[in-house]
Amino acid sequence: MLNRFFIRPLGIFLASAVWLFLPTPGSADQPADEHVKLELISEQDAIVPGKDLWLGFRFDLQREWHTYWINPGDSGEAPRIEWQLPAGFQAGAIQWPYPERLSTPPFADYGYEDQVLLMAPVRPPAQSREGELQKIAATVRYLVCRDVCIPGQKQLELSLRVKSAAAASPAGELFRSARARLPSPAPASWKISAASRGAEFILDLKTGKSAMVPQFFPLQAEQIENGARQDASMLPDGIRLHLKKSKHLLKPIPRLKGVIVLASGKAYVVDVPVSQARKSGRKQ
Amino acid sequence: MKRNLCCSLVITLFLISSAYGVKVGESAPEFQVTDSNGQVHKLSENRGKFVVLEWHNNGCPYTAKHYESRNMQRLQKEWTSKGVVWFTVISSAPGKQGYVTAQQENEYLKAMNASPTAALLDPQGDVGRLYSAKTTPHMFVVNPAGVLIYDGAIDSKPTTDQADIASAQNYVSQALGEATAGKAVSVPTSRPYGCSVKYAH
Repeated sequence: MLNRFFIRPLGIFLASAVWLFLPTPGSADQPADEHVKLELISEQDAIVPGKDLWLGFRFDLQREWHTYWINPGDSGEAPRIEWQLPAGFQAGAIQWPYPERLSTPPFADYGYEDQVLLMAPVRPPAQSREGELQKIAATVRYLVCRDVCIPGQKQLELSLRVKSAAAASPAGELFRSARARLPSPAPASWKISAASRGAEFILDLKTGKSAMVPQFFPLQAEQIENGARQDASMLPDGIRLHLKKSKHLLKPIPRLKGVIVLASGKAYVVDVPVSQARKSGRKQ
Repeated sequence: MKRNLCCSLVITLFLISSAYGVKVGESAPEFQVTDSNGQVHKLSENRGKFVVLEWHNNGCPYTAKHYESRNMQRLQKEWTSKGVVWFTVISSAPGKQGYVTAQQENEYLKAMNASPTAALLDPQGDVGRLYSAKTTPHMFVVNPAGVLIYDGAIDSKPTTDQADIASAQNYVSQALGEATAGKAVSVPTSRPYGCSVKYAH
């Protein structure tokens, strides 16, 4: 009895003592750190005045844990990046590699397991002085999940010298392999079209070939049911995907935007108007 | 024969649509669930009142955002005092994050000073699946005629940061405010944000 009354307040005392020494958000030890290592890396070993420098946020995730794509799907949240750049430097948009479908029927999320590099170009001013050391920093806010989710926040920085020419950094290879997962513009010979038909969007990809099984990832939330099966049917010169409309979609959408990933692992950008009229065409 | 075909089509369509949960503008599906005090609640017993359904998981950081800031408790107090029925629904399966016994839930409600009309325990996930509840929180508003008028996020800032609450547009208060004033709900759906509901699989 005595023990119980002693130990509980002691536990509370210890817990509050630990709390006092907890680091502030953004510094080293926080619960999310156990499940993801985050680094800010550069493709090149120096800053060249006026020339884009590719920087990347590398997520190295513990087994079974994942983080999210720009459209996280049915749950979760995409990482957010806030740059702290030297005067005159400008950061471009994050380039999102295509995600994996993380399925928990009847729902699905879009995200990354194992590793991902979120890269962005940063342009230094043309008049940057050679020899100067410049500090580039960023705050990353992210969510990592397994079955449970933990939010994290990390302050990252990188210092590089301004030089007239740059060589590849040791991280250069990571950028090359990450680029293979970035969606490219669709080849000019392809014809992509989308139509709204009842409870579905019909996405036609006329590529000249019919032997491929693509997967569509919507860029915007609540346009299609993420967890629904994407049935494919063959067209003479391509393939047709049947995408179930989201029940949250109450109005017609003017465009369907997303990424199409072929069985080969090649990804292409889809950004097409959605025709509302019923198209006459051969029945499948 | 023709008539039979037509009816079976209607039934099939109904089944397909119900597999994806209820849609705004349709009748909210009936449920019968026991609350943390052992009392049984049916949605249909609340005809004539607005009903809010709040999906909940006490271990989820998005739920914590709205409880530790007292935002959810403030909403519960404000709207129940105006005659709205507020059901907190817990669909976490036993052994999963957010699963609670009736006693644990009552202790939580007391510790958090939360005042929903009732906390409904749905460990089998039946009500969650019926409504296609995706996240915690995921909010639904049913009007006095039993029609679903809002399905989506609690507000417009999908983060775990409490500091975002003040500048966020609260879609639940907006829907209730507009509907109680006899106006159309201007944002009837949105992407619910948060942790996935920890259903039994």
